Amino acid sequence: MAALKEIRARIETTKNTQQITKAMKLVSAAKLRKAQHQIVNMRPYAQTLLKIIADIAVTQRVSHPLMTPHAEVKRVLVVVLTSDRGLCGGFNSQIHKFTDQWIKQNSSQYSKVDFMFIGRRAADYFARKGVRSVETMLKLDKDVSYGLASKVAERMMKNYLSGAYDEVKLIYNEFKSAISQRPVIETLLPVDLSKQSFSAQDTKVAGFSLDMIFEPKPEQIIDQMLVKHFSVQVYRCMCESVAAEHGARMTAMENATNNAKEVVSKLTLSYNKLRQEKITTELTEIVSGAEALK
Amino acid sequence: MFKLNLVTPEKKVVMDQELAEITLPAFAGELNILPGHSPLLTTLAAGILKYKLKSGESKKMALSWGYCQVSSEGVNVLAEIAVESDEIDVKVIQENLKGFERKLIAEHLNDEDWSKAHHEIERLKAELNLLNVKH
Repeated sequence: MAALKEIRARIETTKNTQQITKAMKLVSAAKLRKAQHQIVNMRPYAQTLLKIIADIAVTQRVSHPLMTPHAEVKRVLVVVLTSDRGLCGGFNSQIHKFTDQWIKQNSSQYSKVDFMFIGRRAADYFARKGVRSVETMLKLDKDVSYGLASKVAERMMKNYLSGAYDEVKLIYNEFKSAISQRPVIETLLPVDLSKQSFSAQDTKVAGFSLDMIFEPKPEQIIDQMLVKHFSVQVYRCMCESVAAEHGARMTAMENATNNAKEVVSKLTLSYNKLRQEKITTELTEIVSGAEALK
Repeated sequence: MFKLNLVTPEKKVVMDQELAEITLPAFAGELNILPGHSPLLTTLAAGILKYKLKSGESKKMALSWGYCQVSSEGVNVLAEIAVESDEIDVKVIQENLKGFERKLIAEHLNDEDWSKAHHEIERLKAELNLLNVKH
């Protein structure tokens, strides 16, 4: 009797869990769609900005402290971007593993490697391992906005321009598709414009002429534009990371729901078996009791 | 005729609209552009953008900080934020404005924070102005 009741209770709880994971999956799916939308929406801005910078570069010598590579790269700032929340499969542990490996392989060639953590997961993980950070930014789990990204970008720029570092690198999850994401490391500073590939339609440099009027001076414009360009890059990475996070969570929750389903069907099977056994024993008892009375 | 593209980091606001006229808040003052304008690249201040469509219909929105590139094909505007009048909540803006103004008076801000606060104030004022501007 007790066993039957126990199994029934377990079926109930598993079903409840299944409902929660299913709901989480749906929520992630909606958020993923939104994040993807955000990536698509920022592209025209990024492209137009880059095109204008390229336009200026055609006529003007473009040089800026954000762009000039340092002769010797000895001190780097590594920014690690993760999520604030868990329950998203390998999303965060992938980053942690990748970062650990990167440290192992590369730390010998630099004289100084500092870290900046964005997102609580990385901060917690590396704090446990005793890796100190120069700065930690948390509470990003609400929507990523451009305003937030430009704040993050500003912190990085400040660190770079103060001369404390020769390079700023970012480790984040690249969004490949809803079901796959890959940790990558990207050098954000100094800004390398040549890396940005122009698609065919962009290269024709729309109607640019040499007698372009600049207001204010081109140097000043390019100054501001590079800063904007950098913020947009950071924004892009953050959007990708958020999309990847929701994608990862969606898959994880999908798997969890399927597992729960399997467990429920197994439990139901054993429940029915037990129930039938019990009925059979009772019947045999009655029958044999009746036999004995004859 | 020329085309207008207006984009912000978060959305495409206007894409490939045929225009008859556009007025922009350039950093050195209001800038009016008609078809056939010579190529120009300028930074924009916080202010109000007005444009007239080919059909004669005119529209306006509040911009904050950006760039405007004029070429033979049209006008590219890159703005940090672009809002239309129906997205504006006067109460929220006025509260924010008061907050920033109080901050400017009460706190000893360093140069950077000071100019940031000023930026914000100008943006909010531009948004408020949008409601008062007539076509």
